[in-house]
Amino acid sequence: MPLRRLSVVMIAAVTLVAAIGASLALGAVSIPLRDVIDALTGNLDPGPFKQIVTELRLPRTVDAILVGASLGVAGALLQGALGNPLASPDVIGVTGGAGFGAVLILLVFPGSIALLPVGALVFGLAAAAIVFAVAWSGESRGGIGKLILAGIGVQAFFFAATTATMVIYSDRVQSAVFWLAGGLVSEGWTNTEAVWPYFAVGLIAAAALMRPLDRLALGDDVAASLGARPRLIRLIACATAAVLASAAASLVGLLSFLGLVTPHLVRLAGGTPSHRYVVPVSALVGATILLVGDTLARVVAAPVELPVGPFMVALGVPLFLWLLRKTV
Amino acid sequence: MTPAPRFAARALACALAITATAAAATPATAKAPTRIVALTPFTANTLAHLGIKPVGIGQTLGGHDKLDPALKSVKTLPLSHPAGPNLEQLAALNPQLVLSTPTWQRGETAMRKLGMKVVDVEPRSLAEVAVDTKRIGALVGRTAQANRLATQIDRGIANAQKNIRKHPTVLLIIGVGRTPYAALENSWGGDVVKKAGGRLLTRGLRASGGFARISNETVVERDPDVIIAVPHGAAGDIPRLARYLKTNPAWKTTKAARNKRIYVSTGNSLLQAWTDAGRTISDVRRSFLKN
Repeated sequence: MPLRRLSVVMIAAVTLVAAIGASLALGAVSIPLRDVIDALTGNLDPGPFKQIVTELRLPRTVDAILVGASLGVAGALLQGALGNPLASPDVIGVTGGAGFGAVLILLVFPGSIALLPVGALVFGLAAAAIVFAVAWSGESRGGIGKLILAGIGVQAFFFAATTATMVIYSDRVQSAVFWLAGGLVSEGWTNTEAVWPYFAVGLIAAAALMRPLDRLALGDDVAASLGARPRLIRLIACATAAVLASAAASLVGLLSFLGLVTPHLVRLAGGTPSHRYVVPVSALVGATILLVGDTLARVVAAPVELPVGPFMVALGVPLFLWLLRKTV
Repeated sequence: MTPAPRFAARALACALAITATAAAATPATAKAPTRIVALTPFTANTLAHLGIKPVGIGQTLGGHDKLDPALKSVKTLPLSHPAGPNLEQLAALNPQLVLSTPTWQRGETAMRKLGMKVVDVEPRSLAEVAVDTKRIGALVGRTAQANRLATQIDRGIANAQKNIRKHPTVLLIIGVGRTPYAALENSWGGDVVKKAGGRLLTRGLRASGGFARISNETVVERDPDVIIAVPHGAAGDIPRLARYLKTNPAWKTTKAARNKRIYVSTGNSLLQAWTDAGRTISDVRRSFLKN
């Protein structure tokens, strides 16, 4: 691997390790580092400190890594499959669907709050399914333009439904605003246990899609002449991205920025569009950005937790713009 | 012994045996929790009245101006959406019982996962104050004191409603930023105004949460004698919001504005329940309804 690409991987990996340490060691309650290590290694007696480290901080750290990696990968898959640098989970309707599913539970069925991740996941996948059903039917089925237009339509429909629900239940809207802004919450392992299979399936499928996407990048005709089936690859890549983005939205709300910017950051910094590089490194960089952003969001105004979205934007956008200015 | 008395004697013996077995199997009354966190001023004040010092109390918008002096040294937990208290801070207090409200429902799931008993106690009407006081008493093992306190509260509410001479029409408006919401009869503030003699002009407005979005057009059309506006927001924004609500140009044609009867209530007394409910009614009558 050329030095430039290796450097990007090393910097991202070291930053991720440091961010994991910070995420476990810092929070609203000051816990001595020794106790944090003892809690993680099982050497701390049961009590509040052990509970905070193992049942609040550790699951949240794992969630941040899973979600950040998934959104980075989802963005890389979509941009590769659609050949469109503006592609992100928004394009296939996932964000709008997941947002509506969550708002439905938060505002209409607040007594069933435990179903929040399920609602977001189900509606996110349903929105993507509608987009695919429209895009893969009729004339020019599977065409990029048709897919994007179907995505814009479905996204608009679900955003309108979300807004209408918020207006109808305006007295409860505050609980939905925080979710829509995007952010992790300390809720133990339950939500992670419910959605980890989706992350696992999505990430494994993404690994299998790296070579086919590289062929697709040569153009549909060339890819077909190499034995690939461009429309099938596109469908599987988009479906994989939908699974990853829906699972991510079910845990953290709407953070589509990460899916859009992370693959560009990786391509610009690494200097290659190869999916065998961009997909795994997007996972690494996405996880790092989200974990650093979440730790800052927890610590800056502690004990009040701020939404992670603005912190991620503050971290990612300057770096992105700097790379854009230098490289393109 | 004839068969009937013999059968009766056996039945009695069986019943006694069953009762004795059941009594032996019944565990001793569960020990009352000693480490309690009260997330609302109502639950915190009730605990104080029952002679219990919680290990933590929630810090709501508007500060602690009406908390019992006995709670001054208790650790406060800032509350913020969506979950309420910071869970790390809450876990550090190691509470056995958390007295919460449905507002913090999102965080309650996680609290329960951490092994805390969480109970929602939030009176939405004056009638519920005594009921919930007794409920808290039962939860913390102070039933007798809670019953006495509940009787005292009910008496205070009844006394505060005596000799009402006028029944002005009222809109109780919660200003969330510049967005007005009408407090309905099924909200705490709406019930207080009603019991204080006000006639709420909220017919046709419905919301399960007790607050319905109301347009300025509707305010003008309903033309209340009195508008009681309650600014709701961060503590630093309250004076600015209060000024806006007091002089809201959209309401200038209403009777309330013409007769200088737009009042701004900057405390939390009309937003959430308090133990001194009778005094809240008296304050509304004296300061706003003048009846």
